[in-house]
Amino acid sequence: MESFSRISPDQRANLTAYLDGELDEAETADIEKVLSRSSVARNDVELLARTYDLLDNLPRYQVTAAFTERTIATVRLELARPDISQTVWYRAAQHSFRPLLWCVMLFAASSIGYLITQAWVPNEADMLARDFDVIRQLDVYQDVGNVEFLDSLNRNQQLLQQIQEQSDAPARR
Amino acid sequence: MSAVVREADRPVPTTTDSESAYLCDPDVQLMLRVKQGDEQAFTRLVSGYQDRLVSIFANLVGNQETAEDLTQEVFLRIYRARLGYQPNAKFSTWVFRIANNLASNSRRSRSRRKEVQLKTQESGPLGARPAEQLLADKSALMPTRLLDRHELQEHVREALETLSERQQMALLLHKFEGMSYVDIGETMEMSPQAVKSLLSRARESLRMRLESYVR
Repeated sequence: MESFSRISPDQRANLTAYLDGELDEAETADIEKVLSRSSVARNDVELLARTYDLLDNLPRYQVTAAFTERTIATVRLELARPDISQTVWYRAAQHSFRPLLWCVMLFAASSIGYLITQAWVPNEADMLARDFDVIRQLDVYQDVGNVEFLDSLNRNQQLLQQIQEQSDAPARR
Repeated sequence: MSAVVREADRPVPTTTDSESAYLCDPDVQLMLRVKQGDEQAFTRLVSGYQDRLVSIFANLVGNQETAEDLTQEVFLRIYRARLGYQPNAKFSTWVFRIANNLASNSRRSRSRRKEVQLKTQESGPLGARPAEQLLADKSALMPTRLLDRHELQEHVREALETLSERQQMALLLHKFEGMSYVDIGETMEMSPQAVKSLLSRARESLRMRLESYVR
């Protein structure tokens, strides 16, 4: 009955290490004891070993002599090519580049802000010029006190002209 | 190719005691000669590691051309780091640590580009190369047997691809390089215990996928 007994997860985890000879003496003895009495464990070990042997089927490669030459040539090229990041002017440029970039970005942001303000935010003079006609007639409008009447009067140009003529007549006299 | 030597690729300076432990490594000796400006020593290192690196990269990225580019990048990084080189690990551990970093970066960038990989049977880079094909023909294997072997290779490769990137790397380092758990841990910056667990899960997963081919 014992020969069919299952092995514990810990023992199972040790089977691979056992096959690889990576267990210490005590662990090896433990696994060997299990193997001696469990055919299931022996079968597992056998399968693990044979599966691992299947990896021998994976291709191994041999590069050509040209590859070696190419690699050495690449390294020589690396030697011949000066490392510009180590030069004085490169480092100086790198040091000055960042502040310069910040200045350019600051200038660009200011310009964009100014243009947006100019285009979208009206100033006091603009508002005064736009509403100048209304301000000039503000007393009259307040006397009339009726916006609908003023609106309909504004639409009736003929009546407006007539009123204008009547108001101008005494002045001419 | 990046002109910057990654910080993780730089050999970390340590004490003289730990350095001396690795001085008997012949590749460390070669690298120390490279540090002194010996180009021949570098050529020997390239010759010694190029096939090993290309094999690992090709099985990781599924493309020989990319594998060769990555291998070249490894050597470039080694060369760029030569002046600061300190023998604080096995040379192979350092080389494959660089390879591991590069493979991870390459996978990330390839997944961003959503590059379409050719399957082996579509005469992709991992298909039977002319030299291998010739060898197989010369060995007078039966066509059905040849097909079986090719199919099996494809199944193994597909099973490997289902594993996580780290599992694949650990498996290939163990299988191809015969690295111990400690060395794999140093290469992949993990504890040996984590390597043990990683490899156990990887091989259990392979066993489940390939069980029908080993019975």
